[in-house]
Amino acid sequence: MDNKTYKKYRIGIALFVAILMSIAVSLDNTLLALSSVIIGMVFSVVVRSKTKHVVDEREVMIRQKAAQMAYAIFAPTIGLGSLLLILVSDETSYFTEAIGIVLSYLTLFLIALFSIFLYYFNRKYGGNGEE
Amino acid sequence: MAAMAKNRLKVLRAMHGMTQEALAEKLQVSRQTVIAIENNKYNPSLDLAFKLARLFDLSIEEIFEYEEDENE
Repeated sequence: MDNKTYKKYRIGIALFVAILMSIAVSLDNTLLALSSVIIGMVFSVVVRSKTKHVVDEREVMIRQKAAQMAYAIFAPTIGLGSLLLILVSDETSYFTEAIGIVLSYLTLFLIALFSIFLYYFNRKYGGNGEE
Repeated sequence: MAAMAKNRLKVLRAMHGMTQEALAEKLQVSRQTVIAIENNKYNPSLDLAFKLARLFDLSIEEIFEYEEDENE
C-alpha cells in the first residue's frame, strides 16, 4: 500500500471514529465511545503495518521543527494561562485556581522534560566537553 | 538563515534516465525529498550527499555548489 492509499484509509478511519463517537455522545453510551476509539486504534495499526512508509531525514527534520515550534508556542501559552487563572480566581470559583495550579505543574513538567532531553542529546552529540 | 546549496540533480537524473520515484527508491528516501532537493528547497545531509555522489559516480562538489549567503 502506498502513501496516498494510506492517507485515504486514515481519513476514512478518522471519519468512522468521529461518527461513532458522535452517536455514542448523543446516546450517552460510554461503551460505544470506548469501543469506537479502540476500533479506530486497531484499524490504524493494521493499515499502518501494511503501508510502505518511508521516514527519511527530511521528514525527521520537519518533525523536529514542528515539535520545536509546538513547544515554543505551547509552553508560554499554558504558563501564562495558568498564571492568569490563579490570579483571577476568587472564593466563588473553586475550580479556576485548581485548573491554574494543574496547568502550572504541567508547564513545569514540560520544561523539565525539554531540559532533560536537551541535556541528553547535547551529551549524545558531543556536547560534553570531551576532546 | 542557512544558505541553500544549488545542485544539478535534475540534470544528472535525466542523464541517467531515472524517474524521481526510482531515484528515491535507490536512496531510500521519499519522492518528496528528491523533489525538494531538486528544487533547492532542502539541503541533504552529508550522508545523503555521499549516497548521491556514489550513485552518479561523481564527487559531492560536482553535484552541489555551495554559495555563501550575502546577507549573513
